[in-house]
Amino acid sequence: MANSLIPPQNLESPILATVSSLIIPGLGQALQKKYQRGIFILTFGIILASLIYWSTATLKLGLISLGTIQVSWLWIPFGLYWLWNVLDANAIGMKKTPGILAGIIFAFIIIYVIAWNVTEVKLYRLVERFNDARMVSVKLLNPDIFTISINGEDSICDWGCLYTYLEDKISGHQPAGVVRISDNVFDIFGRIKPQPAPGWRVSLGLAAEGSRVDTFVAGTLVETIAMGLMATLLSTLFAIPISFLAAQNIMSRVPGGAIVYYIVRTLLNIVRAIDTIVWGLIVIVWVGLGNFAGVIALTIHSIAALAKLFSEEIEHIDNGPVEAISATGANQIQTISHAVIPQIIPAFLSYSLLRWDINMRSATVIGFVAGGGIGFFVVETTRQGAYEQYATALWAIAIVIILVDYISARWRENIVADQPKESVDKVQKPIIRTLKVAFYVLLGLIIAVYCWNVTEISIRSMLSPGKNFSRLLMDFIHIDLTANVRMVVLQQMIVTVFQAMLATTIGAIIALPFSFLAAKNLTGTRKYSIWIYYAARAILNILRSIEALLYVVIFIFWVGIGPFAGMLALAVTSFALIGKLFSESIENIDPGPIEAINATGASRVQMIVFAILPQITPPFISYLIYQWDINVRMATIIGFAGGGGIGLTLTTYFGMLQYHKAGTVVAVIVVVVAIMDFASAKLRHMLI
Amino acid sequence: MLKVENLSKTYPNGTQALKNVSFEVKEGEFLAVIGLSGSGKSTLLRCINRLIEPTSGKITWDDEDITAASSSEIRKIRRKIGMVFQQFNLVKRSSVLTNVLSGRLGYVDTLTSSLHLFSAADHQRAMDSLDQVGLTDKAHVRADSLSGGQQQRVGIARALMQEPRLILADEPVASLDPVLAHSILKYLEQLNKERGITVLCSLHFLDLVHRYATSAIALKDGEMVFQGLPKQIDDAQFKAIYGQEAERVSVI
Repeated sequence: MANSLIPPQNLESPILATVSSLIIPGLGQALQKKYQRGIFILTFGIILASLIYWSTATLKLGLISLGTIQVSWLWIPFGLYWLWNVLDANAIGMKKTPGILAGIIFAFIIIYVIAWNVTEVKLYRLVERFNDARMVSVKLLNPDIFTISINGEDSICDWGCLYTYLEDKISGHQPAGVVRISDNVFDIFGRIKPQPAPGWRVSLGLAAEGSRVDTFVAGTLVETIAMGLMATLLSTLFAIPISFLAAQNIMSRVPGGAIVYYIVRTLLNIVRAIDTIVWGLIVIVWVGLGNFAGVIALTIHSIAALAKLFSEEIEHIDNGPVEAISATGANQIQTISHAVIPQIIPAFLSYSLLRWDINMRSATVIGFVAGGGIGFFVVETTRQGAYEQYATALWAIAIVIILVDYISARWRENIVADQPKESVDKVQKPIIRTLKVAFYVLLGLIIAVYCWNVTEISIRSMLSPGKNFSRLLMDFIHIDLTANVRMVVLQQMIVTVFQAMLATTIGAIIALPFSFLAAKNLTGTRKYSIWIYYAARAILNILRSIEALLYVVIFIFWVGIGPFAGMLALAVTSFALIGKLFSESIENIDPGPIEAINATGASRVQMIVFAILPQITPPFISYLIYQWDINVRMATIIGFAGGGGIGLTLTTYFGMLQYHKAGTVVAVIVVVVAIMDFASAKLRHMLI
Repeated sequence: MLKVENLSKTYPNGTQALKNVSFEVKEGEFLAVIGLSGSGKSTLLRCINRLIEPTSGKITWDDEDITAASSSEIRKIRRKIGMVFQQFNLVKRSSVLTNVLSGRLGYVDTLTSSLHLFSAADHQRAMDSLDQVGLTDKAHVRADSLSGGQQQRVGIARALMQEPRLILADEPVASLDPVLAHSILKYLEQLNKERGITVLCSLHFLDLVHRYATSAIALKDGEMVFQGLPKQIDDAQFKAIYGQEAERVSVI
């Protein structure tokens, strides 16, 4: 009796599943109610097959002759992937625990072989041109800070020269020449120079009309800092009103608000998907080259990013006070000003500070396209092969960005901690508080006015756009979708995505062991071991403070212009960020299991394998996906400095004034970045 | 026999967690360690398997000097000392079986165990240990899908994998409901009575001490203020250990 109760398909289902997976990958899994697994297997199968087909058609990749026909050997791992899927369906049917490792390995073989080839990885170049690289490295470590003039001949005084000079000085010998701080340093930081007297000095009677007075002329680094500050200030001011339009809980109270909400949200997402540097390309057509173009580009991208964060913050406010204030009979505006604004100010400030950090980093490279600040300086010096001068800029950038990073992080910590500063019985006198606030406001105003001046903000040039700008706007609406352009753009986009993936992989492989050295709980706090931690963290912080575009310059010198150089630059920044994130997640693990495993008498390696690895694997994978997402965005601009990929296509089209084609590239970037954003968020959500 | 002589521990921040603590535990005893939070109970237990390095003093176990053992010797000693923790200290994302198998790490070589390869005998031993605590059906689920009481039973199973002769239990029931507290302590009592495993267990509740322990010591601010039989702890003793304001409460 018991036997006849078993439904017959229970016996057949493994066979049915196996056969259906043989015909369509994933179907057998889906038939057994493993829908997600089935869809994944099918999607991956289609992606892999199209990639193999594409790579054979365009790159003649992996072709082998079989008699008269030529096929790619990549179909072999693809066949194995198919086979794995059949066995997987069978295993599920037999109620065994199916393994996914084999499937992942075959898929990865295909993906990485293609990635390796489209990114034009040429490892021999790393070795062949090692001497060039060494020469650049030596120059990077000996930046042009001091100049020695011997018999009227100026030359760069490196560390060795400086040491000899100081040694001669101290021991009383006659030094070989006169050492001074080099012009390069003044170019970067600024110098005092006679300039025509500005209007306000004349009207205050401090200078005669038309006379020249000694004025501080900002160096490229000061310009960059000013750009970052100005963009942060402007974008915060613009983002606040926009964020209310993009907040669902506010807009749902207004008639017709839902439509406004969706339009604003969509616009913000599109603007945000286009990198600051790409905005730079568009803005220079509008207002011409210079610091001002840089500020506009930074501001546009920053407004979109901030407005999104701000609106999410508004959506997550505590509804209690809103209810309470409404209940007193307050109107809409009063409710916002008394119940909403006090709640959101700390978060807004904290996001603005975070954005300041990001804007400062972007400001260091915006000059690559917009022609201002330290980015432009880097373009000029490296074009002349003046790597010692480039090195000084790099070190200066590292110092500034590390400082900004630190200040912004500390400030945000204080805001998040949100503790009342004074205790109840120790309130400052109102007059002192007013003076204090007045001082800070005044200081802020002076800085803002100075930055306004340095960045040459001019409303007039905004109102009289360049002669090509109207054509650009028209062309961006009527983008070129002819087959030829589609082919080129699609191909370069694939290169870009693979560049990002390979860079993430290489960065992660180096970062993995390194992150253990940068985790305080693993290095220990003993006298010597703590220095390993400090050194590892310092390396990560310095590398992370330099934008990928600035690294490309080094790598094109080493391995030549092309996607390989861009990929290596991205790998360096990936290494730095992944190393930081990995080591932080190692520091945040639960120490309990470590103690428990140690108590069993396990060795150190066993402890790592059994107590640490299981805890860090999920966040690590999550960070890898996140990094890939970031890298795809970065890879879209890496081509501006010779790093290949879609960025190269974009600058070429812009350079040839083919805006309708450039528009296609921008549209594709928006779509791909949006897809990556969505997919990476979904994947990471699944892991946690 | 476990012998603790003049054990002291001062943390780098200057906290004196243990001051000259001396006592003996005979083979097969169930020793309760009582005292307020921060009285040094956890430090004392962790000094015995040297998860914490004592500042001074000597611990010997069957004439073997634990305090003088080298790092490879201490790993050999730790194999024979099982430990159970207040927060269970399971690797939450790993399966119950993996957690239990990890109790065997002191016995197997690093290379194969790092690849998660364990012998069939060890797998059998793991299933037997899970059987002891009544969790064989949960072997393949993730540790964090279990309830607190079940997680602690996995913790005991992990300790059993070591074939211990001594179990250190650091507040094993402090994170659990009173009903579950009895079930966990019954497992420890069973191991103590049936297998003759010596148990050192820190506990908060006096009635649990009365019910399960065969002897007791009490710590106050790192000093040992009582040593004797559980039933000798009367009201006066109780106030001396826990302070004048303490009230006796009972667990079910």
